[in-house]
Amino acid sequence: MGAARRLAGSSFLALALIAGTANAQTPVTLQYWVYSDFAQGEALKLQQEFIAEFEAAHPGVKISISGKGDDDLTTGQVTGAASGNLPDVFMNGLAAGAQLVEAGALDNIYSKWMAMPQDYRDQFDKSAIASCMPKPDTMYCLPYTGFGEILFRNLTVLQDAGIDTANPPKDWAEWLDQMKKVKAAGKFAMPDQTQVFNSVASTYATVGPDSDWGIDFATKKTLVKPESYAKALQLFVDMAPLTSGTSRNDQATKDLFITNQLAFHVVGPWVDPTYKQAATDSGLKYDFVLVPAAKEGDHGGVKSYEILSVAPGKNADIAWQFASYVAEKKQMLRWAKLLSRYNGNAAAMADPEVTSLPLVAKSVEAVKYALEVQPPYFVGAYPNCYKSIVTDNAAAVADGDMTPDEGAKDLIEQLNDCIASN
Amino acid sequence: MIAKKHMPHYMMVLPFMLLFAVFFLYPIASGFFYSFHDWNATTTTRFVGLDNYTRIIGSRDFKKAMWNLATYIVITVPLGILVAFCLALLVDSFKGTWSNIFRSAFFMPVVLPAFLAATVWRWIYTPNFGLLNMVLGWFGLPSLNFLNDTGSMLYALIAVDVWVSAGFNMVIILAGLKNIPTDVYEAARLDGASPLQQVRYVTVPMLYPVLFFVTTYGVISALQVFDVPWLLTGSSFASYGGRSNALMFPVMDMMGRGFGSLKFGQASAYGFILTAIIVLFTAAMFVFRKKGYDQ
Repeated sequence: MGAARRLAGSSFLALALIAGTANAQTPVTLQYWVYSDFAQGEALKLQQEFIAEFEAAHPGVKISISGKGDDDLTTGQVTGAASGNLPDVFMNGLAAGAQLVEAGALDNIYSKWMAMPQDYRDQFDKSAIASCMPKPDTMYCLPYTGFGEILFRNLTVLQDAGIDTANPPKDWAEWLDQMKKVKAAGKFAMPDQTQVFNSVASTYATVGPDSDWGIDFATKKTLVKPESYAKALQLFVDMAPLTSGTSRNDQATKDLFITNQLAFHVVGPWVDPTYKQAATDSGLKYDFVLVPAAKEGDHGGVKSYEILSVAPGKNADIAWQFASYVAEKKQMLRWAKLLSRYNGNAAAMADPEVTSLPLVAKSVEAVKYALEVQPPYFVGAYPNCYKSIVTDNAAAVADGDMTPDEGAKDLIEQLNDCIASN
Repeated sequence: MIAKKHMPHYMMVLPFMLLFAVFFLYPIASGFFYSFHDWNATTTTRFVGLDNYTRIIGSRDFKKAMWNLATYIVITVPLGILVAFCLALLVDSFKGTWSNIFRSAFFMPVVLPAFLAATVWRWIYTPNFGLLNMVLGWFGLPSLNFLNDTGSMLYALIAVDVWVSAGFNMVIILAGLKNIPTDVYEAARLDGASPLQQVRYVTVPMLYPVLFFVTTYGVISALQVFDVPWLLTGSSFASYGGRSNALMFPVMDMMGRGFGSLKFGQASAYGFILTAIIVLFTAAMFVFRKKGYDQ
């Protein structure tokens, strides 16, 4: 109760601080770029509420919201930095951070962050904040929405295959056994995990340590180690005859799941609305559990965040005030309740109104175990060849072109060449 | 005196020339400048001479993209024109309403947005239960992953492109067919020419200028292929070209270097290499055409 009061007090203080400084605000229109799915339907209505509240507290400030696709966000921010016409506040993915730093699109918000009350700063997930701080006295983002991957299970398919769905698979061995039973029953167990970089990373997370994933930009070498990666490649070999052949992102994969042809789908929580709708429309029976790992008690999957950043320039201060307002607990709580989506505000995620939401609760748990997709953030951009080498290698090993040991060795050589030639 | 006389004419073309200079000549000139510099769009430029050009030409992705492009052009352009020619003959053989129905039906893919066409074909190519794999299954053949098997990816793209472009070429060839005088066919028939011989000795020679146009247009379009393979492989600036870069093409590589890796100097150089290739191809085709006429 005391903590809640402190939090409310600090939020009020932060808002009062923001409002106080805003009275002298000269008229300005802030350009606010968000992902396109945040600029439509219910999500847009809520964003507009945030904007209206902020504008009411800041006479003279207008905010213009625009929705953009993934590539359009990054391209617009890079070209905006080049032409001196950046949006003032914008979203993007953590993975695009280094590219935006290189383009000069991000304001270092460290001093503004440190000027916020301690209780405000304590609201955020510590590892997410650490991702925004690549070095001392430097901070490029506020964590916004995010995800930890979870395992969606089609209960009808599993039950038809004679699998007891009361308890989720406790480890990889049990999970693989269930996949084989599903295949024997004439259904597909999994999407093809080799086709998308994130699903390769997700599969690696089942067996490999976090420390052996990513790039060491100081030495310009991959952190992938042959021993741990060969174990991950073996998983692709084991899964190869059991997959649907579609990637985890394909619409066909979702359709297979909805039509009771696919048993498992390891993915972020964004597919839940589709599956929930199918449950209503066609009686789909599904649940979501943590992704099993090699050992019981551990879990796999990947995690990442969408970020809120501010452009350098004359509007940077007021843009920061808006960004910090949007990322504050009260707003993120409303956001989580509306979309049932995890976000980087730990205080919001711990609120009883949100912990009672099963999808959010499971996501909070998943994030604790999950692997960062492209670490370290804001340090160096992953070369384009890196991702395609990883997926090509996984597919080649799954197809039997190389053994897992040969594949791991070959991958590391190729990745180091790719990093060196970039 | 002459300059004064033509001053009104110069003034009339001035607005166009200004816009042309700002939006066409200046970007080309600045692109040429950047092609000799290392530049990430925000920092100051650093002169690197021909380094961007040599890096591109020596890179594995460029070689792969060029190989894919050459294979793609060699198959797509003749196949596309052959299909369009056959469709044009078919539609030309119908009269009245049926002719209109077929012409509209075959033209439909041309007006479909590329993303829609790619989405439809992704469905058709879906492994295990896609339309094409269902058909293969009826004949007892194993399922193929058309968009993830490096042996089939290029051909899967070619099928889509032929499907999309055939309607456009068909309309142009059809217009050419309508312009062939019927008395030439009558004369051929009187000489005892079979329908196939009429096509071989009357239709094709009379359509020569039209076929040259669709071939040139087809080659230039093929050299710039981008959207359909991009969409079929679910590409983004961070990852494109599909498995083992089997659907990597030059424009894709250029875009990736620019917006994926912020190497705008290299992307500019890539643009000039591509332009040079397109100009050379087109010039070669005109030379061949002239030689054909001369003979």
